[in-house]
Amino acid sequence: MNSLRIARAALRARPAAIRAPLQRRGYAEAVSDKIKLSLSLPHQSIYKSQDAVQVNIPAESGEMGVLANHVPSIEQLKAGIVEVIEESGSKRFFLSGGFAVVQPNSALSINAVEGFPLEDFSADAVRAQISEAQKVANGSGSEQDIAEAKIELEVLESLQAHLK
Amino acid sequence: MTFAWKAAGLTYNRYLAVAARVVRRSLKDDKRLLAERRGQQDLRFAKWTNGKQGELKNLAEANAQASVESAATGGTA
Repeated sequence: MNSLRIARAALRARPAAIRAPLQRRGYAEAVSDKIKLSLSLPHQSIYKSQDAVQVNIPAESGEMGVLANHVPSIEQLKAGIVEVIEESGSKRFFLSGGFAVVQPNSALSINAVEGFPLEDFSADAVRAQISEAQKVANGSGSEQDIAEAKIELEVLESLQAHLK
Repeated sequence: MTFAWKAAGLTYNRYLAVAARVVRRSLKDDKRLLAERRGQQDLRFAKWTNGKQGELKNLAEANAQASVESAATGGTA
């Protein structure tokens, strides 16, 4: 019984001894584990290549979280929440839809037409617009009017779900 | 995957404009006024033919009209 415990302790001790030299690293290897985020609108840059730990984006193909060293990709965004997780805490922005480009060198560029912090939205305005858009969507307008009302509904419902 | 708005003849550009407009309108009053002022434009244009100025039109209205027409005929403009 006693010998078994010693054997197990030896097993546990060895991997640590092997790993130790690998943990030592020089200046050249000390890469950042942060992702550089640029969040730009036509009229404003909310983030300009600033470090973030993780960024959650609402891609058309599904919600995704982007960390450093993510595979390069281009994602079309739905209207929804972009969550930026920094070391000091996380911030949430509602974007109206656009594109996110994950670049090879741990850089992420998000482009959208409109984007505001979640606390800038008024729940009353959203509710009023939903009933208005529903009227148009179920009305007898032209095909374009109905399609536009449905786009508005989709955006508003996403916004309302996050405001609660 | 085909989007419903695409099937109705809207362009991606139009989709983005509609989505952005509704986001601006959902803001709290002070922010909304600032954001909507940013979208204001007042451009007019006229087509000249044979040295004569044609009808003066508002660019935003003419654009909206053209996009409805192109959507109805299934154009790609």
